[in-house]
Amino acid sequence: MVDHLHHLTVADAAELIAARQLSPVELTDACLARIAEIDGALCSFVTVTAERAREEARRAEAEIAASGPRRPLHGIPYALKDIYGVAGVPTTAGSRLLANNMAIENAAAVTTLEKAGAILIGKNTTWEFAHGGPSWDALSPPARNPWNLSYSPSGSSSGSAAAVAAGLVPVSLGTDTGGSIRGPAAACGVAGLKPTYGRVSRRGIVPNCFSQDHAGPLAWTCRDLALVLGVIAGHDPHDPGSAAVEVSDYAAALTGSMRGLIIGVPWRWLEEEMPPDTVTRAAFDAALDVLRGLGAEFRDVALPPIIDFHATMKVIAASELFAIHGPDLRTRPDMFGASLRYRVIAGGLIRAEEYLRAQRSRTALARATQRMMAAVDLIVLPTADAAGPLEPVHPASTFTQPSYTSPFSVAGNPALSVCSGFDGAGLPLSLQIVGRLFDEATVLRVGDAFERATDWRSRRPEFQAQ
Amino acid sequence: MNGNQPDRDAILTMARLAGLRLPAAYENELVDAYTHVRALVLRLPEPRARGDEPAHVFNPARFVAKDD
Repeated sequence: MVDHLHHLTVADAAELIAARQLSPVELTDACLARIAEIDGALCSFVTVTAERAREEARRAEAEIAASGPRRPLHGIPYALKDIYGVAGVPTTAGSRLLANNMAIENAAAVTTLEKAGAILIGKNTTWEFAHGGPSWDALSPPARNPWNLSYSPSGSSSGSAAAVAAGLVPVSLGTDTGGSIRGPAAACGVAGLKPTYGRVSRRGIVPNCFSQDHAGPLAWTCRDLALVLGVIAGHDPHDPGSAAVEVSDYAAALTGSMRGLIIGVPWRWLEEEMPPDTVTRAAFDAALDVLRGLGAEFRDVALPPIIDFHATMKVIAASELFAIHGPDLRTRPDMFGASLRYRVIAGGLIRAEEYLRAQRSRTALARATQRMMAAVDLIVLPTADAAGPLEPVHPASTFTQPSYTSPFSVAGNPALSVCSGFDGAGLPLSLQIVGRLFDEATVLRVGDAFERATDWRSRRPEFQAQ
Repeated sequence: MNGNQPDRDAILTMARLAGLRLPAAYENELVDAYTHVRALVLRLPEPRARGDEPAHVFNPARFVAKDD
């Protein structure tokens, strides 16, 4: 039997459950015990659905005993960023505006996971409405980074990444509008996938920015992401942004092979427009060596200026955020955390002409990106520099600092963050792998091959409850 | 306004026209935030291809009953 059940990956737990060597009840209890033990300091959960989880686990145990697991997630605990609706469970979006909000129906992804037999264990901390943070004046305190509790787990799917890294739950669903899955995954050293825009339904998820919101998983390994994506991906006619595109067998795509793959690197971004810090750059160069050793070939790709993606993404987001939050800003602006209010408030002054110009720009940038992607199989670059201290950040930085993640939110391409090492302070470093539209299979194949070729998955946070 | 940054009074007037009658404490926040947003708006390129026009998102076929 495994010594630390809470550190089991989805794939390992599923194998043990299928072999009747592990009970879903035992695994669920291990996760709940781990949450009780350390989440007081980590702040990664805002709601723990312990009784519901134990009931679901007992049901899964009986079903599996009778006829074996239905799907790989049968009996596997999972968590949700607290913007996913679950019938009868609080859904606060981390905001005092929704402090008493109880969802009346499940988000589409939740229904799909329930049908697969997965076990909801609770809701994870999010930046307010998946956009403003870190905040100390919103509904709940920000999550902390399990590699160092004084450091930020980034945002906005902060709790999801922190909980997975700390071994509180093997997988959590987050959302990513400009980097909110990939950034926290990078900061916490886990794997996080923003699928192609429209690949996973957003129905039942509290919106951040309708035209750029993506739903996706965070887990310890790419193999786990593949197993979860295989369940939650698919067309939903009730989500206007959902894509009717065939879903691959992502787990079967993890062959370990990279022979013949052509990988692009946006060197102008990395060397002229927005160079990473020296530690991140060294880890990136080392990652390229690993990929080269696995058989990949590289070429330079010239994407449009990163600042153009940034401006486009922010103008669209501010406009759409105001369209959502305008009524509350007009009547009760004091209910917003200061960070979110600052990021939303000026959206009301963006004119229709300017919003449309941003949407035209998005189309042009997406077209340029796809043209460049036609010449390569993938693009790689860092996800972000290592995490900084958890402290108040002036919200103007959201407008003044471009990121390596938002271009692929604008373009809609699938983008994955994997752990690519650790800095001198023991904080995770990251590699971002970007694919062609709807080609999550290749993205996950390369992420999985990278994880297998390195030993970064063998290190876990040495977390001490405080 | 053209490309020039509007002054504080102009920003507050725009806010009132948008229905935002903010407490004085939030006025500085708005003026500061809009300064940054305005800089990003001015950064946007001006592609005008008719096929890229976002108004084309209106699609009457969407209202025809289908796979509910």
